[in-house]
Amino acid sequence: MQRRAFLHNLAAVGAISCLPMSIPRSLAAEAGAVSVDQLPKLEGEITLYLGRGEGGLYENVLEAIRKRNPGLKLQIRRGATAALANSIVAEAKAGVRRADVFWAVDSGAIGLVSDAGLARPLPADLTGQLKPGFQYPQWAPVTGRVRTLPYNTDRLTPEQIPDSIMALADSELAIGWAPAYASFQSFVTAMRLLEGEKATEDWLRGISRHATSYAGELGVVMAVERGEVDLGFANHYYTLRLKNGKPDAKVGLAFTNNDAGCLVNASGILALSDGDLPINFIRYLLTREVQSYLASEAYEIPLVEGVKPPQGLPALNTISPPRVDLTQLADLRPTLNLMRRVGVL
Amino acid sequence: MNLRPALRWPASYPLALVIALLAFVPVGVLVGLASDSAELFDAHNLKVLSNTLLLMVFTVLGSVAIGVPLALITAYVQLRWRRLWLIVLAAPLAIPSYIGAFTLYAAFGRGGEIQQLLGWPMPAVNGLPGATLVMTLYSYPFVMLTTRASLLSLDASLVNAARTLGMTIAASLWRVVLPRVATGIAAGALLVALYTLSDFGTPAIMRLDTFTRVIFVEYNAFGLSQAAMLSLQLLVIVGLVLFLESRVRGSKERPGRHLTLWPSRAQKWLMFLVFTPVIVMSIVLPLAVFGIWLLREGAGGFDVAYAWNSAHASFLAALVAVVLAIPVAHAAIAGRAGRFMERLTYFGFGVPGIVMGTALVYVGLQLPFLYQTLALLVLAYVLRFLPLAVGSVRSTAEGLDPSLVKAARLLGASPREAFQRITLPLTIRGMVAGAALVFLEAMRELPATLMLGPTGFETLATYLWRVYEAGYFGRAAIPGLLLVLMSALGLALMLSGERRAEFDVTGK
Repeated sequence: MQRRAFLHNLAAVGAISCLPMSIPRSLAAEAGAVSVDQLPKLEGEITLYLGRGEGGLYENVLEAIRKRNPGLKLQIRRGATAALANSIVAEAKAGVRRADVFWAVDSGAIGLVSDAGLARPLPADLTGQLKPGFQYPQWAPVTGRVRTLPYNTDRLTPEQIPDSIMALADSELAIGWAPAYASFQSFVTAMRLLEGEKATEDWLRGISRHATSYAGELGVVMAVERGEVDLGFANHYYTLRLKNGKPDAKVGLAFTNNDAGCLVNASGILALSDGDLPINFIRYLLTREVQSYLASEAYEIPLVEGVKPPQGLPALNTISPPRVDLTQLADLRPTLNLMRRVGVL
Repeated sequence: MNLRPALRWPASYPLALVIALLAFVPVGVLVGLASDSAELFDAHNLKVLSNTLLLMVFTVLGSVAIGVPLALITAYVQLRWRRLWLIVLAAPLAIPSYIGAFTLYAAFGRGGEIQQLLGWPMPAVNGLPGATLVMTLYSYPFVMLTTRASLLSLDASLVNAARTLGMTIAASLWRVVLPRVATGIAAGALLVALYTLSDFGTPAIMRLDTFTRVIFVEYNAFGLSQAAMLSLQLLVIVGLVLFLESRVRGSKERPGRHLTLWPSRAQKWLMFLVFTPVIVMSIVLPLAVFGIWLLREGAGGFDVAYAWNSAHASFLAALVAVVLAIPVAHAAIAGRAGRFMERLTYFGFGVPGIVMGTALVYVGLQLPFLYQTLALLVLAYVLRFLPLAVGSVRSTAEGLDPSLVKAARLLGASPREAFQRITLPLTIRGMVAGAALVFLEAMRELPATLMLGPTGFETLATYLWRVYEAGYFGRAAIPGLLLVLMSALGLALMLSGERRAEFDVTGK
C-alpha cells in the first residue's frame, strides 16, 4: 500500500484545498462517482456494527440511507471500533454471527477482522470505484484521515513544535491524548512497525509523564483549544470541525515529518455475511452524495474518484506520511500489550 | 405452608436454593474465564488496586465528615422546614453518580461551563481528587441516613445527665452521643465503600484507573480472561466489605425522649453555611448544567425510544425479580437454611455491574440463543437487584401475623385459597415496593447495559454515555434530566414506606 503515492495522487487531483469552498460543489467535477440514484433499493434486514467516534455525521448518513430505503430494516450496534472488531472475532470463535456489515473508523480494526478470515470478498466493480492504492479485495476504505498535532495557538508557535514525533517524548509540552481510541492505537502500531518495540515503549513512557488522557480525540482537540494542554494527538478532521463551528478557535494543526505522527489511515467497511444486501449497502457509502457529504461536513478525505476533498486541510504535498502498509496495522494485540505494560491503557 | 409431610423441607426451599445458586453463576463463570489468563498480577495492577482502595478510603472519610454532622443537625436541631431539609440533603442519592461526574467535569476546568458563563477560572475536576469529590457528594447521604436513624433511637436522658454534670453540649455530643451511634456510622460507611467499589461511570469520567475502569478497557480489547481476573480481584475486596457489613450489629436502646437542640441565630447561619455548598455542588450544579445545555442545544438527537427501552427492560427486570423474590422470601422466613439461601442472593448486589456484564457476555457467547438478547440483560438486572425485591417482600411477609392464615384454614379455606385471599393481598404492597426499587435501579444501571444490550437497544443511560464519549455534551440534557427524575421517584419511595427500615440498621 503506497501511502505516499496516495497522497501525491490526491495532490495531483487538486487536493491542495486551501481555496475557500464558497462555490457550491460542482457535480460535473464529480462525474467519476456513482450517484445514489443509480443504486438498487435496499430491502431486508441487516445488522451494522458501527465503530463510533464521528457522532452525528455517520448517523446522518445512515438516517438518509434508511429514509431512501423504506424496505430496509437496519439495526445498528454502536461501540468503540476496537471493541466491536474484537467482539466480531470473539463471536465468530464462539460460532455466533450477529453483524452483517462492519464500519470501522480505523483500518487496523478492519485488518483484525479480515485477518481472522471473516470478511467476504467484494466485487471488482465496487472496489474499482476507489482511488488507485485504495482497492482491496476484502474491504472498502470509505474515507481517509491524517494523524496531526493540534496545538494551542496562544501557548505555542509552530516553531516550538518538533517535526519528529519521537522528539516529543523529551519535550516539556503538556500533551493531550486518547489512548483508548482506535486511531490512536493504529498510530502506535505504526510507530511500533517503524521504530521498533523498545523505542515505542520508551516513547509511550516519556509522553505519559506529561500527558492527560481523554475519552476521544474530539475531547483532545477541545482540551487543546481550551488551553488545558499545549498540544495533542488527533485525526485531522476534529480540528477542522472545531474550527468550522468556532472560527476563532485557538487551535492550529502541525504535522511531523515522515514518521507515525502523520500517518494516513482510512475508515473502512467490510461485509461479514454473503448476499447482495451487504454489498449494496457498502455501495451506498461510496456514492458521490455520501462521499461529498463526509468531505464537506465531516472534513474527511473522500476516497472514491472524482469527489472534492475537504477545505482547510493544508497542501498534502507538504506532508510526508510514513511508508506503512495499512493492513499491517491490524497487528493490534502487541500494541495493546505494550500500552498495557506501560500503563497507559 | 408445608402440607406434604413427605417433604422435610418447606416447599419454597428447592426453588429458593436454585435462585440462590443462580446468584453465584457469575462468580463461577469468572473463575473459569480467569483460569485461562496468564497475568495474575502485574505492576499496573498494583496501581489499579491502590487507586481503587484510595478512592474508597477517601470517599468513606469524606462521607463521614459530611454525613455525621448533617445527621446530628437533621436529627436533633430544631429548624424551620426540617422535613424539607432532610429531603434536600438526601436528594443526592437520587442522582446517579455518573451524572454528577459528567456535569462536574463539564462545569469545572478551563473553558468549563462556569468559566464560560461567569468568567471565573476554575480548577479542573478529575483524577483521584475529582473522583473522591464526586463520590463523596453522591454517597454521603448513606452515612447521614444510617447515622440519623441511630441518633433518633437514642434516649436523650443520658445527654441531659451529662449536661447536669457540667459537660458542654459539644462535649456531650462527642463523648456521650457519638460513641453510641458508631455502628450506625459504620453501617453507612460500609454502604459507601460498596457503592464506591462498584461505581463505573465516575472513575471513567474522572479518568482514574480503578478496577471498574480497567475491566471495561480490557473488555473493549476483548481480553475477557484478563477482565475476569480483575473482576475476581475486585470481588475479593467487595466480599471483604460485605463480610464487615454482616458483622456490624446495632445495640438496641430502650426508646426514650428525643434530644432537641434550639440553635441561636448565628448557629443557624453557620449550619446554613455547611448545608449550602454540599447542596449547590451535588444538586443545583448538575441541574443547572443540564438546564444550560437544554437551553443552548434543545432536545436534538433525543429519541423517545430510549426512554421506552429503559422502561421496558427495567419493567421486565422488576417483574422477574419479584416473582423470584417470593420463594426466597418465603424460605427466609421458614427456617435457618432458607435464611442462608436468602443471604446468598444478597451477594449479587455486591457484584459490580461491570463484573456482572463481563460474566454474562461470556455466558452469552457460550449460549448463542442468549447473546445480545433482552433476556440476558434482564437476567443481569435480576441477579444484581434481586436482593432489593427479596428485602421488600420479606419485610412485609414477616410482618404478617401467621395466625391469620391459620384462622382462614380453620374456617375451611384450602391452602391455595388462604394464600390468595390472605397472604397475597397482605404482601402485595411489599411486592410493589420491591418491584419499583428494582425498576428504578435498573433504569440507572450503566455498565452492564452497555455490554449486554441488544443491538440497536439504546437506553437513557447508554445514550448519555454515548453522548459523553462522542463529546456532544449538550445532548445529555434530556436523558440526564429524565434519569434524575426517575431516580427521585425511587428515593421518594425509599424514604417513605417500607424502605425506611433498610437504613435503620440499629433499629432491627
